[in-house]
Amino acid sequence: MISNALIRMLAIACVASAVLVTQGCSKQDEPPQAAGIHAPTKLGDLSAFRAIAVDVAAKVDAQDLPAAKTRIKDLEKSWDDAEAGIKPRAASDWHVLDKAIDHALDALRASQPQQGACKAAMADLLKAFDSLQGQG
Amino acid sequence: MNTASKGWLNKVPEVTLSFWIIKIMSTTVGETFADFLAVDVGWGLAITSAVMAVLLAGALALQLRKRNCEPWIYWLCVVLVSILGTQITDILTDELGISLYASTAFFAALLVANFAVWYAVERNLSIREIVTARREGFYWATVLCTFALGTAGGDLATEALGLGFSLGCVIFAALIGACLLAWRLGASTVLVFWVAYILTRPLGASLGDLLTQSRDYGGLGMGATWTSAIFLCVIFILVCAAQFAAGQSKRLTP
Repeated sequence: MISNALIRMLAIACVASAVLVTQGCSKQDEPPQAAGIHAPTKLGDLSAFRAIAVDVAAKVDAQDLPAAKTRIKDLEKSWDDAEAGIKPRAASDWHVLDKAIDHALDALRASQPQQGACKAAMADLLKAFDSLQGQG
Repeated sequence: MNTASKGWLNKVPEVTLSFWIIKIMSTTVGETFADFLAVDVGWGLAITSAVMAVLLAGALALQLRKRNCEPWIYWLCVVLVSILGTQITDILTDELGISLYASTAFFAALLVANFAVWYAVERNLSIREIVTARREGFYWATVLCTFALGTAGGDLATEALGLGFSLGCVIFAALIGACLLAWRLGASTVLVFWVAYILTRPLGASLGDLLTQSRDYGGLGMGATWTSAIFLCVIFILVCAAQFAAGQSKRLTP
């Protein structure tokens, strides 16, 4: 029973220290968020996501749909990973992009992907990125 | 207690500090794991949900057949319910386009209805006397509702209030603290237990995000893999301790 209690105390101490550390850090990191000079949308800097989309669009233009399908997974993954970080900043902007990315994923992952549909979906996606960047 | 199944002991763990720590952490791990299957492995929402539903059915069948509380099965069920509850909300929101206001209200109503039926049938909502199969059924239905409600409500806080995970951690932890205070001041144990049970869902999600999100977004940048590994270790230690304690008390009270 004593070792039992000891283990429990140890685990609790782990958690407590993790929480303490995180709270200190989260406060430090707050200011840069407000100073989004390069990015008009409140979502922040989207250039990393847009760069992947441009890459996918180039592969679609080159009629290489399998390669485009492979590459867009990187966009899906990085977009998904960043959700908790950027969505609260501007949820409605986030949904605009999320929907556009979903459409592009659907087009490229169709059982028989169509060149025209993929091209249109990627064009829409890039347009969504650009309209958000220019939103002021 | 003539309604009790023959020889059944309470089927759910004692509510201690380590109970809540396991609960919060298993929520985080569950969500990360579901995300891993849906996106990294590429199963998508539908297949992941179907697989989790089958696993949950199996785990619950195992849990229901036991005559006393086996911590590892209980927590396996909780993790799986956590995953499925999250996915149900995701499917409603992303695939069916149902607003988070509607789903939050719906799950809240479902939870209240579940309690109403539970009370009408059993005249007792105690979590210390889960000693019949019917009560255990109510218990797990409630757990599923609290997870779905916690997910929808937590997402709603993010969407409507723009509540990020750092602030989310502080607010949800403070609300759980308020529950503890209310309980100390004499509020109903059962009510406080379930309110806290709901709140641990968004707290677990916020805490997970805080650890996994990159520093650019105000997180700790530990990544999903490390966070899951650490949480799994702590869960493993605590569940082992609980399992060990359960084994001892079974020997003491044959």
